[in-house]
Parts: sequence; C-alpha cells; structure tokens
Amino acid sequence: MYDADVIVIGSGGGGAVAAKELAEKGLKVLVLEAGPFYGNKKWPQPNSERGGEWSSSYHDLDVNIYKRIYNRYENNMNDVVSGVFRFGPADRRRSPWHRIQRQRGEIWQLSGVGGTTQHYWSQSPRAFPSAIDGVWPISYAELVPYYEKVEATLPVNFSPTTPKEELFYYGVKKAGWKLNPTLDVVTPGYRPNPNAILPPNENLMNPGYSMEQLNEMEGCNLQGHCMNGCTAGPSVDRIAKRGTLVSYVPLALKTGNVSIRPNSFTIKILTERGPAGALHAVGVRFRDTWTGEIGELTAQTIVMAAGCVESPRLWINSGLPDNGWVGRGLTNHCFDWVGGVFDERDLLNTIGFPAVYPYIGHTSGARVDIPGTGIFQVSCLSPGLMSYLTYGFSEAGYAAFSHPEPDAPWDLRGRVIGPQLKALMENYSRTMTYLLLTDDETRYINRVEVDPLLKDENGPIPVVHYTPSAKTLQRRDRLARYACESLQAAGARTIIRSDTPFAFQLHLESTMRMGYVVDTNCEAYDVKRLFIADNSVHFNGIGGPNPTLTTQALATRTADKIAEIYFS
Amino acid sequence: MNGYEEGIALQAASIYAAQMNPCIRETFCGLAALIVPNTAALPQLGGEQAIGAVELHVQQYIIWELDHSLALMSGLSLTVFPLAAPTAQMLNSAAMQLVARGWETCPPNPALWAISPFAALVPCDRMRVLALLEQLQFDLELLPPPYQHDGGYVKFVVDYLNRAVMFGNYSEWPAYGPTRLDTPVCRRLYGFPIGWRQAGYPGIADGYRAFLGFVLYIERDQGGYQIV
Repeated sequence: MYDADVIVIGSGGGGAVAAKELAEKGLKVLVLEAGPFYGNKKWPQPNSERGGEWSSSYHDLDVNIYKRIYNRYENNMNDVVSGVFRFGPADRRRSPWHRIQRQRGEIWQLSGVGGTTQHYWSQSPRAFPSAIDGVWPISYAELVPYYEKVEATLPVNFSPTTPKEELFYYGVKKAGWKLNPTLDVVTPGYRPNPNAILPPNENLMNPGYSMEQLNEMEGCNLQGHCMNGCTAGPSVDRIAKRGTLVSYVPLALKTGNVSIRPNSFTIKILTERGPAGALHAVGVRFRDTWTGEIGELTAQTIVMAAGCVESPRLWINSGLPDNGWVGRGLTNHCFDWVGGVFDERDLLNTIGFPAVYPYIGHTSGARVDIPGTGIFQVSCLSPGLMSYLTYGFSEAGYAAFSHPEPDAPWDLRGRVIGPQLKALMENYSRTMTYLLLTDDETRYINRVEVDPLLKDENGPIPVVHYTPSAKTLQRRDRLARYACESLQAAGARTIIRSDTPFAFQLHLESTMRMGYVVDTNCEAYDVKRLFIADNSVHFNGIGGPNPTLTTQALATRTADKIAEIYFS
Repeated sequence: MNGYEEGIALQAASIYAAQMNPCIRETFCGLAALIVPNTAALPQLGGEQAIGAVELHVQQYIIWELDHSLALMSGLSLTVFPLAAPTAQMLNSAAMQLVARGWETCPPNPALWAISPFAALVPCDRMRVLALLEQLQFDLELLPPPYQHDGGYVKFVVDYLNRAVMFGNYSEWPAYGPTRLDTPVCRRLYGFPIGWRQAGYPGIADGYRAFLGFVLYIERDQGGYQIV
C-alpha cells in the first residue's frame, strides 16, 4: 500500500543520520534530496547531466567522481551563486534558489547529498549542559548516550596540533585560560576541537610516502580543505572529513534498505485526517529539478530534515496548521570574526615557525568554551574566503569611518579596503583568524516565513529575519574582547574585529522548536506521523557550540522513537 | 568538454562580455578599483603586489554574479532577473545625490561623469557613497527597482559588493582567463592565481607534513571511551 515505511526529506546533517538509523532497524527508507549526489556512478556528470533517478547501493559510490568534483578550488567550490557548494539545483548553469534577507548577511546552506555538512568544518562538540538542563523539555543526560553513539560512528576525535593551533594555545594560555579535557563543558577553558575528522594518517610524517600516495590512504593529511572539499581517503566512505555524504550515507546504503533520490525538491507534505479527525502525514509531493516533473510517494511516517529554513517553508507551503510558532524562534549564534597579524620574528620566538600557515590542518582546530557567553575558535581559510570574512563583511561599515575605541583590544573594526587591505592581505600567511559563536538568546521575532508574492519553481520563497537581543550583543562583545585579548597575548601586531553581520547564518537553529512545534519525540504536535530531524527542533542555540552533533544525536534518538511508536 | 564545445563556450563568454554596456562596466570598475586598487604608485605595494582587481577583471566577476543570482517565477516560467544594471544604477544615483548635496571631498572626473557618476568620484568619495547608501542616507525613491524603497535589500547588496570583490580578487577566479565568464563547469585554469600569489598561498595541496602531536585524544573500546 505504501511506497516505503519512512520517507526522509533531506540528506544533510540530520536526514542522513535518521535514514541510516531507521534502515538498520530493518525499515524501508526513501530519501529525497533537492540537490546533486556527488561521488556516485549514477551521476557521472552531476552538474551538467541529469543522470539516474535513484541510488540504492553502496557500490554506486565512486571516489574518482567524488575527487573530480571536489577539486578544492575555493571559488569553484564555495561561490554562493554558482559553486559546487551552494543552495541550488544540480545544474550549475542555473541560478541558486533564492532566500530573501533584507539585512546584511548571507546564508551558508547547501543542497546536495550530505547537505551543509559537505562544507562544514566538522566541529562536533556537545551542547553546553547549562543550556539544556532546566531549559529544554528533555535533559542533557537524555542526550548523552546518543552523543556517544554519533561520536563513535562518525567518528569524533580531538584535533591534532599544527602551527596555528600551537599559536592559539600559546595565546590563550598566556591570557589565563586553562585546559578543559572533557566533552561535557561546564566550566570555561580551552581544548582542541572535537571534530568529525579521521586522525592523521600514521605515515604522514614519513617521507617514504609521497603526498599523492598519502592522499589515497586513510587518515587526515592536514590538507586544509575542510571547507573547499576534503579529498584525503581511499574511498568515499573513508574520506577524512566526515560530512554525512561520506559517513552516514554510505552506512545507510550498506543496509540495503535505503534508496536516495537526489535532484528532487519536496514541495508538499501530503496528509489525511484519521477517523478521530486528527491530521497525519501520508506522503510527499516532489519536483524533479532537471525535468520539472512532479512525483508523489507515500509512507507510513515522514521525517522532515530539510534544514532550518526549508522545513518551516515546506510546512507553510503545505498548508499545515500554524500554531504561531512555525518558523519562529530562530537562533544563529550571532557570529563575529577577528584576526591577528603577526611578525615573522615574533612567530619564530613563540612557536618556532615563521608563519601561522592558515591553510594547513583542520580548518578549525581549537577553541575556548565559555558557558553562558559562547566560544571562540581558531578558524583559518584559503585567501578568498579569508579576505572577505576578515575585511569585507561587517555590520559596522568601514573601519576608516568607525569611531575610535581607545580601550578596545582591537586596532580596526569594520571593513578594510584599498591599499590597507592589500597590505594586510600580503600578510595572509602570518594572520590567525577566529570565529566567535555567541550564546544567542531565543526571540519570537526572529523567524523564517514565506514571501506573500515571490515564488520560485518550488513555491513561495522563504524570508529570513534575524535581529539579536541586547543580551546576545553584550555576550558577543564580551567574546570579542576575550578573543582579541588572546591574540594580543599571542603577540599579534595588528588586530581586526570584523563585526560580522548579525545575519551571517551558518548555525541556524530552533525554527520548529521542541515543546512548541514538535513534542519531545520530535513528532509534530499538529500532524501525527510527521517527525523533524534537523537543527530546527533545537529548543535554543544550545549555548553556542556548533549544532550538528546535537542534531545528529537527536536524529538517532528520533529514529528510535519512530520505531518504538509506529513499527514495534 | 571537447574542443568544439569549448569553442562555443568561449564564444558565449566573449559575447556576454561584449554585451556589458559601458556604464555598467565603468561603474563596477570603479567599485573593484576602490576595494582592491592598483598600487604601483606605492613603493611598499609595488611589483606583483601592485596588481589590482581591475587588471584581474574582477568587475566582470561582480557583473556575472549579479546577473546570475536571482531567478523567480514570472508568469508561467522561471525567469532570471539580471541585477548588474539596477545595481550600477543604484551606485550612480547615490553618487549623483552625493554631489547634488555637496558632500563630495573632490570634484568628480568630468570625462567619466557622463558614463558613470560613481566611477567619476575619487576613491574616498566612492567609499562615502557606499557608506551612506548602507546607512540609508540617500533618497530611496530615486533608486531603481528592486532597491527602490527597500532599505534592507540595499544594506544587503552594498555589503555583498565589498566582499564579492575580495572573493573574486583573492580566489582563483581571475585565473580562469578567457573562460572566466563561462558556465562554471566549463571554466579552465590558466596559470596560478595572482591573488593567491599576492597572499602567499601556495595553492591547493594534497597534504602537509605538519603534525605536531595531540593535546587530547579520545580512545574508544567496546562502547566506552576515555580522554587521554
């Protein structure tokens, strides 16, 4: 009667986990993904030819196709309009799918199998317990076994040290932060990042192996392309950086119970009313992004994992009941970004290297956690991305026009352009940059809605509004001070605070919140048999830590709940 | 892509470049030169460092990006709305408003004024135009759609213009040479990107022998773990 036991909408950080966990319980799962499937024999030219329809076999995965597409060139990979990584259709001749932002900012979300984990930096910290206990409708202890399962599956381990982490540790220790050797952070301190990246290849330092050989072997080779497309590994499922395309998706396919259909944008949740009048989900309607053909599929249970923008959009465009909280309560860690420029001689004295080498190692390898405030983490990118995040992207306008701040631990605040930009960029290899993640207060006014007039081929398009609270901004200022003081302690000669636009959206969370739109099992209150397994079910911004691991832990738990409630 | 297809692609790219009208081209040259100028006149930024965004054709990158970023349903079909022309018009309207109010610090270049008022301004006045635009200090009625009366969108795009020039300049995009305006899957690299050389980035690499050890490590066995 049904096409499957479960349909999962979206194959990113959450959807791929739900699919694998459900399939391992013996359930038949169909996954619909709006974007392309990279590294699969069914789609040898995924950005220019339609290719196949479904992939159901682990043996479809092809590392040569994967490495051809993931070519690591930053503009080719990460251009938001036309890159391999963008939120848009597989066909790169076409424009991306538009989201309306009427403020400074950008939304870094990707379509495609693996979703945004294709370019995430693999940071996999747990939530701060203080942001969960007594706040969420479930406890931190309830999450711990699921955290452990995901950490072991990805797997997660602490980042290795390279010169930039060495410099980070030197600065934060001098600034007074203490080592925090834990996964459960209850006190402030520094630690290497718990990252979903395989440990370094054990032969990395052995000159008997060439880099080309090492790149075909298992283990991280510190190539520095976490964001531009990691290629270290002998097969798709052994690539070092563990986005779900290379971790949970191969495991899901290995069960033999999962079929994935990329290039399929879900445009409607289909529902029926039961005898008692309650609404329940029975299927989905989707649009083939190459042919425009509309298909429908049915299942006993639907899991929506389209992300924090598309899940509420899909809900609204499906005409499902709105209890006032659909799309509401968006949090985003209200980022900031700071950088320190160092002198070669100082670096030789402190860490024994003449440069920071921002292009070597994990993109982000170490952090200071401050529960109640947020996190700052060393995060270094290739020059195109680094230049714009550090000098070109600001809520504060131009540094040249900003008011002097004599007591601030930064020299420049805001955009830097002209000859001064060029002089700073000449020092790219001696510049260490940090991403700051704020414990973001949840506000009802921050939201995803759909435009009343504008549509794309998939229906009315999303509008994303985000304005931080005064408390969030105080925390962000505090973080910027801590971060810049540690750069001063490390010996930076020039310190830049970009004052990143508030709506630079990387860690969107909590637009379909647990306790408001979904219950503690992540099943929608108003539509039975409809579950959500992405960042949108978070009750809040989990205190500031990167959200993916928590989404993956919850998706694992949700799979258990689905099996228990509907398939036991 | 075979040689024949590559030929078609190159032709399409050169037609696209030829269609850029002088006003749009000069306006975005003015933007690119403001953000990443040629610095041959500055001894500390001479040699290879002197090359600026205009020599790297970054103005074409901005035009291409703006013209390919927005597709919406219009009537029965999905329609691409090119944004380079209205965005250039917005910058020029703002430049004219700056001058009409007497807020410029130097007289604009008369030779360029008729083509692009924005490009005719000296760099610090161009920066002033962008700053005042994002502060919504100009009459938004005088801006073209989609920016007219949409201050939020003006803020978004002015911020975007700054970072897009930097990303164009300091990424590998200029090295796509004659294929740079082509559809992305047809672009080919011609040499090492100059922006990467200016930054001292060695380019993409398979790996680095830079492992300095672990501060912490997770050891797992039979379902448990230990931090060492």
